[in-house]
Amino acid sequence: MKKGRRGGKVQEAALSRGERARIPLPFLQEKGRGETLMECKQCQEYITLDLYGDLPPEQRASYEVHLAGCAHCQAAREQARGLHELLAQRSRLEPTPDFLAECRQALAETLERERLGWHGLVREWLSFLQLPPQRVAPRVAFALTLVVLGFGLGWTLRVRAAKVVPSVPGGVTASSLADADLENMRINDISRVAPDPSTGGVRITMDAQRHFTLEGSLDDPHIQQLLVYAVKSYDNAGIRRDTLDALRARCKSPNVRAALLYTMEHDPNVGNRLAALDAVHNMEGGADLQRSLIGVLEHDQNMGVRVESVDLLVDQVEKEGGHAAILSALGRLATSDPNRYVRMKCASALRKLGSDGYTQTDEK
Amino acid sequence: MELAGHIPEERGQPSGADELALIRRAQGGDPEAFEALVRAYDQNVLRLAMQVVHSQEEARDLYQEAFLKVYRSLRYFRLEARFSTWLYRVVMNVCLDYLRRQNTRKEVQGPESDDGQPEYFQTLPDERPVLDPERAAHSGEIGRRIQAALLRLNPRERLVFELKHYQGLKLRAIGELCKTSEQTVKNCLFRATQKLRTELGDLV
Repeated sequence: MKKGRRGGKVQEAALSRGERARIPLPFLQEKGRGETLMECKQCQEYITLDLYGDLPPEQRASYEVHLAGCAHCQAAREQARGLHELLAQRSRLEPTPDFLAECRQALAETLERERLGWHGLVREWLSFLQLPPQRVAPRVAFALTLVVLGFGLGWTLRVRAAKVVPSVPGGVTASSLADADLENMRINDISRVAPDPSTGGVRITMDAQRHFTLEGSLDDPHIQQLLVYAVKSYDNAGIRRDTLDALRARCKSPNVRAALLYTMEHDPNVGNRLAALDAVHNMEGGADLQRSLIGVLEHDQNMGVRVESVDLLVDQVEKEGGHAAILSALGRLATSDPNRYVRMKCASALRKLGSDGYTQTDEK
Repeated sequence: MELAGHIPEERGQPSGADELALIRRAQGGDPEAFEALVRAYDQNVLRLAMQVVHSQEEARDLYQEAFLKVYRSLRYFRLEARFSTWLYRVVMNVCLDYLRRQNTRKEVQGPESDDGQPEYFQTLPDERPVLDPERAAHSGEIGRRIQAALLRLNPRERLVFELKHYQGLKLRAIGELCKTSEQTVKNCLFRATQKLRTELGDLV
């Protein structure tokens, strides 16, 4: 830094051609080459810090004074604010529970291989090879047959969403419908048109849907009934998830409790099953909860879900006391679950419970 | 040394003494202790990876690479810094290496799927009605421009900007993660902001 020709506190910067090119021409003509240029450069850095809330307090006074008197920096601040708002339009990416469970599973398998080392991997590979080939093919064929049968059965029994508007035995008169109802109605099917010459009227039997918005308290039994229906039956996984999030605050209600347990065991979406498991963390214990958790541990297809259920089962035993069915399920899966990580998790849970004095024979 | 930043705590993050016990057990080879440490931080790690790479496959790979490095080098962790600081340094370096590899390949376009639309992650809910398709298309275009502009930053500028602007970390915390001074981080941030202003000025 050189001192200015007039000396004193002025700090003069030797501007390169590139730096001069970035400074608007009117600004250069209006201001001297010395202190104000440097202050603007500093000010614009402070604008960035100010937008992030990181402006040092001791600099705020001189920063505000400069801004008040400098149209160029005021414009720069507006542009910087605009840029901040624009950048907020970039999509925020959140890992879904499903994706997180997938990553955890992949990591667990990698770490297991890392722990085994190449000795263990070779040992496993050799033990696999010892299976006689003639015993492998029938097993594979049997497994494929089960997959095909299971898919066919599942397709046949899949849950369909019920019609939005239930049938009304006595019928609905046109005069009882508002214009808005008729405008919002979508007719799926007209199954019968029966004129009545004696009255000059007509009876139309149809299947129709009407869109409307229902508002109410989560404590309203009708609202709860609708939400319970949605979380168990609706085709859209996202709607089921939103419904689950709404219901979890009311898990003391018997209907809601049952719906959450159902979701935990049967929702086709892994993310929803994980969310239901999370929701039951704060649920009061009970035989139904324990049965459902055991069901999840034994039957869920997703390893991440099964692992989560182990933690909840351990909580149940610790809160409610030793339970033979839980300990038995953990013991069984510690040796027989096809996934190594689940086996480790169950074994670890048994050790933890064993260290507290519970054994498989204890029963409350 | 405390991490002077805002890395949001995840549910179930262990307290200081509990974490110390977990670290010691994990250093002794206890897999459950290591799993508990992973669970305490992995959601934030995955979120950062997804934000940096904008690709599900790559984010999963970065997540795996970061925690594998943590697992392999945990025995060298000497407890002088907070575990979170040390962990995020590892994650930072993994992300930086990834960005440098991308730079080397001179990929200036954001990741795209076959139909030319940016690759978006699965986010819940699974389906949402688009209320205004035109508005949605316009905001999609802006998102692509922003992503392309970010890709033009050098790896360190990109990471500093992601950590500051999208993760909300304090400058000092970023300096701790990058093992550099706060002033260096500031200069990096100013350069990144200037470049973005140049790239995206017409949209402001």
